[in-house]
Amino acid sequence: MNRKVTPAALALAFSTAVTLAASPALAAGDKDKGDKEKCYGVALAGKNDCKAGPGTTCSGSSNRDYQGNAWKYVPKGTCKEIPSPTSPTGKGQLQPFQEKG
Amino acid sequence: MRGGGAGAGLSERLRGAGGLTVEERWAVALLDPEAPTPPDLTSWNGSDPGQRFAVYRNNVVVSLVESLAQTFPVTCELVGEEFFRAMGREFVRARPPRSTLLARYGEGFAEFVDGFPPAASVPYLADMARLEMHCLAALHAADADPAAPQVLEAALREPECLPALRLRLHPSLRCLRSEFAVFSLWDAHRGELEISQVNPLAAECGWILRSGLEVRLLPMCAGDCDFVEALARGNSFGEAAEAAAGDREFDLGRCLATLLRWGMVTSVNGIK
Repeated sequence: MNRKVTPAALALAFSTAVTLAASPALAAGDKDKGDKEKCYGVALAGKNDCKAGPGTTCSGSSNRDYQGNAWKYVPKGTCKEIPSPTSPTGKGQLQPFQEKG
Repeated sequence: MRGGGAGAGLSERLRGAGGLTVEERWAVALLDPEAPTPPDLTSWNGSDPGQRFAVYRNNVVVSLVESLAQTFPVTCELVGEEFFRAMGREFVRARPPRSTLLARYGEGFAEFVDGFPPAASVPYLADMARLEMHCLAALHAADADPAAPQVLEAALREPECLPALRLRLHPSLRCLRSEFAVFSLWDAHRGELEISQVNPLAAECGWILRSGLEVRLLPMCAGDCDFVEALARGNSFGEAAEAAAGDREFDLGRCLATLLRWGMVTSVNGIK
């Protein structure tokens, strides 16, 4: 199955990859939290990025879906459009909230 | 449990029928609803120890099944909650946790599903469990910083070193090859793809990785898996490229660009 790959082909692929990876269109924005916002009430149980329960600030510590004091990073500007069945507004919120009964 | 009395040695007293210690009999009885309540149990308030033990036994199994349901959410959706929980109970009894870390429980579940006759009508179920176990492993994998861009640029300035270059990959990165469309099915069940667009019987390959705190599933071609697996075995860049070249779909530049852009290349060695 193996075919010989010439050094020239390796060099071309390597330089293409470095260029492609550096282009803004392809750059992954995940490492940079600048384009994200903390959104409360939209994380599923155990999938929160941080803050849940009194005194804890632990990733993955929420134990109910859509917990009002657990947040998740979401793309900026989208938090208040994400449905949250527990939220009094029906959407995610930028601050922790008391879940409706 | 009462302590050993005077006379007979403690270890003899603790060993009952079948040569099991009290702890071993306790562990067996916890997972087997048919097993009798371990003897020597007492309760502080005079309530029936048998009944109390039955509650405890039920909680052990239910909580482990719950942990499986959280680790394998799409596997669960594919067969429905009731079927999944029944299958989970069988697994919990056959393969109880070997570690105190519940967060990693589920090793061997996919193989169990493979050999679970009632699940045979959903042929892709075991591969979905495999995919979700990879997600769990990727989530808990060690952190590693991506290689600095200057290192990659330095490698480009020495093209004669490229074939022998050693690329180290991020600890979260893993590959899955399936005869079924498990990556598309997973997307569809997460609401990111219309289920009517998915043909479950189409073979798929892909990568599972973690970027920041988020696990990502990337459908890729077979060559991309060959390439990553060759690098993981310790092969050089040139050898890995050759291992993947059998796949006509494979595009080395695009494959490497995807690895770089997700921060999956953590070190580059072999530049003079």
